[in-house]
Amino acid sequence: MKTKIPWWHFPLLLVVLGSLLPLIWMLATAWKTPEQVFNASLNPWPYPATAANFAYVMGAIPLGRYILNTFIIAFIVTAAKLLTSILAAYGFTQFSFRGRETLFYLCLLSIFVPFTVTMMPNYLFMSRMGWLNTYTGVALPQMADALGIFLLRQSIRSIPPSLVEAARLDRVGHGRILGRVLLPAIKPSLIALGILFFINTWNEYFWPLLMINDKSMYTLPLALQMFTNLEGGTNWGAMMAAATLASLPPVVAYLLAQRYVVDTFIHSGLKG
Amino acid sequence: MKIAREPGPKFAAIKGYLVPWGCLAPALAFLALFTFWPLVSTLKLSFYQWNMVSPTPKWVGLTNYLEILRSREFWLAFWHTLEYTLILLALNLALPYITAYILSHLVFKGQNFYRALIFLPSVLSLAVAAVIFLWLYNPLAGPVNALLRLLGLPAPPWLSSYRWVIPALAVITAWKSFGYNFIVLLAGLVAVPLELIEAARLEKASNWQIFWRIVRPLTSGTALYVLVMTVIIGSQYVFVPIQMLTNGGPDQASTNLVFFIYQYTFNFFQTGKAAAAAVITLIIFGGLLFLQKRVLEKGVYYEN
Repeated sequence: MKTKIPWWHFPLLLVVLGSLLPLIWMLATAWKTPEQVFNASLNPWPYPATAANFAYVMGAIPLGRYILNTFIIAFIVTAAKLLTSILAAYGFTQFSFRGRETLFYLCLLSIFVPFTVTMMPNYLFMSRMGWLNTYTGVALPQMADALGIFLLRQSIRSIPPSLVEAARLDRVGHGRILGRVLLPAIKPSLIALGILFFINTWNEYFWPLLMINDKSMYTLPLALQMFTNLEGGTNWGAMMAAATLASLPPVVAYLLAQRYVVDTFIHSGLKG
Repeated sequence: MKIAREPGPKFAAIKGYLVPWGCLAPALAFLALFTFWPLVSTLKLSFYQWNMVSPTPKWVGLTNYLEILRSREFWLAFWHTLEYTLILLALNLALPYITAYILSHLVFKGQNFYRALIFLPSVLSLAVAAVIFLWLYNPLAGPVNALLRLLGLPAPPWLSSYRWVIPALAVITAWKSFGYNFIVLLAGLVAVPLELIEAARLEKASNWQIFWRIVRPLTSGTALYVLVMTVIIGSQYVFVPIQMLTNGGPDQASTNLVFFIYQYTFNFFQTGKAAAAAVITLIIFGGLLFLQKRVLEKGVYYEN
């Protein structure tokens, strides 16, 4: 058997390089002085490094407020999505009733409904309710997630049924079956899914763009737009510093739970 | 109903219905209210002329459809969407497919290292990706053009060039989505039984033959999922760099259908035309899904 061909590492390293280079340039530019930005744009190592860009960002925008806005929305959406997904996955796996499969596939179908088809009525609804420029307006339409239902249903199905049946015979209630038996067994998937929801909501741009035009309600991704709108004299160092700050929480969350996140995708059977 | 069928007091029967539906209700309610009802609502809006402000929308039948199908802007956006999609299929389906094949079947060391780093850009915001590339693409001092000049190659103004603006914006989206698609494809690829590949090796099949004749047919379910998502999500993702960096320009050279719908709704306040365009995209995607189902039924191998 032919094994281990080191040569094949070469294309993989090229892909890694392509993935990382833009990030390296973002980091480098964030720590450069304006002179370094323009005269040494190819140099990935700012020397001497300056923190002036970060100081500028903190002065130019209410950074703390934006972090808080982004965090609150991401937290509400993540908690709500986990809750509705857990309940739905429980409903789809622990009971059999007529139309169950149809209903499940209808849920899955929502993944394929493009955002453009739903954005206008949802915008009008929020506007009529007076929820523009509110957390409610951004968070409410995203409180259920078909992918979450799908993944958790998949995880619950992989638990040996004997575990749940034993609990049933002991006349244990639904709440305790869920809380004491099922949830502990699918903890890795829950963590991965929670992190994924959080990262995705943190990063969101399109829907908050429609919901929010009051600058004090901006999320971090929306705030980045303020740095591109300065025609002409764009402060590149500050822009990259702001991009770095906006990326920090998702990157840290990912690095802390990298194993869970990637493994959930590898093993959950997100295939077919 | 499993529990309801058991003989018992009436209360148990009611409870038997209550619990499963109570579990499903929250998720179903949100999906119905914010995904499926708006779908119907958009369909309705597409038959009316309305500016979002006037109290009464005016029924105009198919006029909105006829007008956008006759407009040059719509067809520009349509062809651009196709162009974006083709580039994204190459960069976000073919390329990660081959990369995942190399990692799962030709290289055995360093799997965790590669997985972790290649996935990294997909945890960033598209808004972050857009501003990073705005700098990378800067015509005067940006690193891309600095490098090209160093190599003595032409250095075009990427985002204001008719020829390059679409590839340049597509690359931004591709960079962000590559890692996610790569991981999903890798999940499918690691499930391919190794014995099959070893048998092929013994028959002296080349790596390319193994990929095309064995691995690809065995993972076509995953690949179709990534294909459909690349087409549907891709045109939505590419909206972010369009809106942030070019606003559809130069002279509409970078618009796509999503941006077209956004502009007609929120800049021109012509909800009818926007809704009609949204319905047309839905029909196109629906056709694609139908096609996927047909292809799936026709001899795609299901993993598991």
